[in-house]
Amino acid sequence: MDIDDILREVDPIFHDIPQEQRDLQDLTRAWVAEKSAPELLPWPANGLFERINANIKTQIERVEELTGDMDPKTNFALIVIQTELERYRYLVRSYLRARLAKIDRHALHYLSTDALRARLSGAELAYATRHQALLHNHYLSSFLSSFPAGLQNLNDSAAGISMIETPDLESAVFIRLLRDAPVEGRGVDADGAMDGRESDIVILRWSDAKPLVEAGTAELV
Amino acid sequence: MPMYGDLGNKLVQHAKRTQNLAHLPPYQTELIRAVTREVRDLDKDVASLLEPFQGSFDPSADQATACTLLVNHLSMRRNKRCLLAYHRTRTDKLEELVWNGSDVLDLAGQQAGGANGAPAADGGASSSLSPQEEDYVRQYGDLLAAYKGQWTDIDLTGSLEPPRDLFIDVRVLKDAGEIQTEYGAINLTKNSQFYVRHGDVERLIAQGYLQKLG
Repeated sequence: MDIDDILREVDPIFHDIPQEQRDLQDLTRAWVAEKSAPELLPWPANGLFERINANIKTQIERVEELTGDMDPKTNFALIVIQTELERYRYLVRSYLRARLAKIDRHALHYLSTDALRARLSGAELAYATRHQALLHNHYLSSFLSSFPAGLQNLNDSAAGISMIETPDLESAVFIRLLRDAPVEGRGVDADGAMDGRESDIVILRWSDAKPLVEAGTAELV
Repeated sequence: MPMYGDLGNKLVQHAKRTQNLAHLPPYQTELIRAVTREVRDLDKDVASLLEPFQGSFDPSADQATACTLLVNHLSMRRNKRCLLAYHRTRTDKLEELVWNGSDVLDLAGQQAGGANGAPAADGGASSSLSPQEEDYVRQYGDLLAAYKGQWTDIDLTGSLEPPRDLFIDVRVLKDAGEIQTEYGAINLTKNSQFYVRHGDVERLIAQGYLQKLG
């Protein structure tokens, strides 16, 4: 069950919302979530970004068509469309850059297992793989190649400490509950639990919040 | 007498300093070489220490040797970490410059030449980048261009500030020549002011040709 299903339950007119508007909602939600989650979230697989790209293209063409028109009315419409377009672009850009920053930071981690790789889009996967190869090459040609063979790896885990850094899943996030649900969080001294109500806002560790977010019970804010 | 790891420590200090600088300080070629040499020497020591045992070394029987081996082993790994950290800090910085669209290779040459008055005070290098770093910048630039190419309508390297106004006032700081906009050509001469579409001049603001007003 995901957020769409819940919205459909509570809001029967949900189906009447045009696809474009729903895409914008999804994009905004994905953007907020990606900005606040400490680890990379899965790339939306439902063709969201193909549609968004198409929408942006259409609007750009529309702007080009309207530009020649000197009628003040069209001119006003043009400014509205352009402003909207800039905002739309900003959302996509900021979303992609937030993801890329996380991927760059922990590239080896996200490339290490198939489950983690599946969170990346095709283009991101290509980027991360190539970027890592470039870095490795750079290290090799700068100093690593004159190291003893046994020390040339980048993924050793000597003395129980892996060389590959991973994101901190214990860092705090804010979530908003989308329906009544019990919330449990682990603390430093004691664990906490509460009966959450819809639209409550709670701060807790990402590792505790993740199941709620994935189940669609809560969203990141 | 210098201790194991002193050189590595210096590298880390360089890296730490680099994080807070706007430009990239010169690449520490000598230091890198020295740290790498230390690793190789330590490795040789380990090999010669172990040689008499022919693969049957028992740490509990000879604790003094075992301790030496452990220290050597840890020093090598520490040096490796220092080297990795130093290089990664620098590549991060270089990537940031590539994202900002500045001509990194050109810039590095200027800095090394102009910053300290006497050109290339440290050993005749004309750039603060190592040759490997120059390669890296070129290749990363290509990589970024390839990724950006899939999002042509977004302008991925554009501003990460949320857009407020479609049009903004700008003042021209340096002559930037003529630019084409939807509303015709604008000639950007120094000290003039314009009311223009933000998206059209974003790049020029980032490059320091224009200043945003208000």
